[in-house]
Amino acid sequence: MFGYVAANREKLNEDQEKYYKACYCGLCRTLGKEHGAKSRITLNYDMTFLVLILSSVYNIKVVEKGQERCVAHPLDKHDYWYNDITKYASDMNILLTYFNFLDDWEDDWSLLALGEAKVYHKEFEKVEKKYPEKTKLIRGKLKELSLIEKRGETNPDIPAESFGEILGEVFAYKKDEHESKLRDFGKALGKFIYIMDAVMDFKEDLNKERYNPLITVPSNMFKDILNILMADCTEVYESLNIVKDKELIENILYSGVWMKYEFKKAKEKEKNHERSL
Amino acid sequence: MRDPYEVLGVSRDASDEEISKAYRRLAKKYHPDLNNGDDYSTKKMSEINNAYESIKNGTPFGGGYQQAYNSGYTGSGSFNFETVRKYIAVGQYIQALNILGNMRDRTAEWYYFSAVAHAGIGNRIMAVNHAQMAVNMDPSNDEYKRVLDLLQNRGRTYQQRSQTFGSFEDIGTMCVRFALLNMFCCWCC
Repeated sequence: MFGYVAANREKLNEDQEKYYKACYCGLCRTLGKEHGAKSRITLNYDMTFLVLILSSVYNIKVVEKGQERCVAHPLDKHDYWYNDITKYASDMNILLTYFNFLDDWEDDWSLLALGEAKVYHKEFEKVEKKYPEKTKLIRGKLKELSLIEKRGETNPDIPAESFGEILGEVFAYKKDEHESKLRDFGKALGKFIYIMDAVMDFKEDLNKERYNPLITVPSNMFKDILNILMADCTEVYESLNIVKDKELIENILYSGVWMKYEFKKAKEKEKNHERSL
Repeated sequence: MRDPYEVLGVSRDASDEEISKAYRRLAKKYHPDLNNGDDYSTKKMSEINNAYESIKNGTPFGGGYQQAYNSGYTGSGSFNFETVRKYIAVGQYIQALNILGNMRDRTAEWYYFSAVAHAGIGNRIMAVNHAQMAVNMDPSNDEYKRVLDLLQNRGRTYQQRSQTFGSFEDIGTMCVRFALLNMFCCWCC
């Protein structure tokens, strides 16, 4: 997806950072093992968060850990850990990546995207067989979202809701007593991610005359809106009564989700400062 | 209010795509963010937005909000705020939005009712956006301020908690460190 749901590593202690990185590396390793080395480049931190929160809700401990060298950093040995949830997250990663490339192909007729989609087609089919209902729902929602965007919807809540439902499906790991809360949580987080992405791309979309869901909203309200959406998300989060990895998860929900936004703002400020000199 | 088609510079039989294209071209020209937020562009942008939204929601020819919500409303727009208030009071927010969608003039009161109805169906973004519009247009109205405050309060509580994790003032140097870190780390960030 977009990589907004990552930790603010400055505020993690050494153990937390090690554990977090090892979770990412475990996911990267699982992706490679389950779906081939090529699939690893599609990974970002959003899916690492999925592993953390589901492992916490289902209280699934680390089942396998170790050290290895990998293609990305062959010099250093590094830690990894994984469990059943890691496998699930790697499947979901394939699903979203595949649809994402297909979408790019439809939007821009980008041959590169079509080629990429073809590379993942076999892996996608494996995941589809494993999760036919999820695949069907996500496919339908993405179609819906694409139509909403194409018709130039000016109410930002409508596409955000649609995107939120996709993430809700991804977070609803199993049909059990946790399903409904996890779905609500994923949905709220998805709405935030969708709007955050619209905020980050806002000026570029304006300049390139592309669809942006926030186009009729004054930009001085963006921060308020994002805060309200995260308030909704953390409200559901609190009802999950998380114990395991609570600090790390809250670092992400209360601080990490702002990293890219704050970094962009700082860069723009620097640019404006240089211009005024 | 000027004829929305005239504002966007398109003919009455223009396709949806042509209308969106014309709107986005004008938005690029007049959006305050690309014009240092000057008054003229702000006014112009709001005129363009209103025109675009009224064409999209079918207001110039009646119709209203049902495009987005598939409700069965077929009224002709001869309603007033009293009717809107009644619908809101019984929780029939979509009906309220349909009537609002049929009104051509967007006053502070219009934005206020729109904010309340949107909040009712869980449209957080529209709700806070329209509540802010109402307050901007009529800063003396306490009821508008109260609704805006109510909507923003949730966000403020989150933000306060968020600030306990530290500020991002030093993010510039932080990111240099991340960039270095990432050279040795997986394909991340």
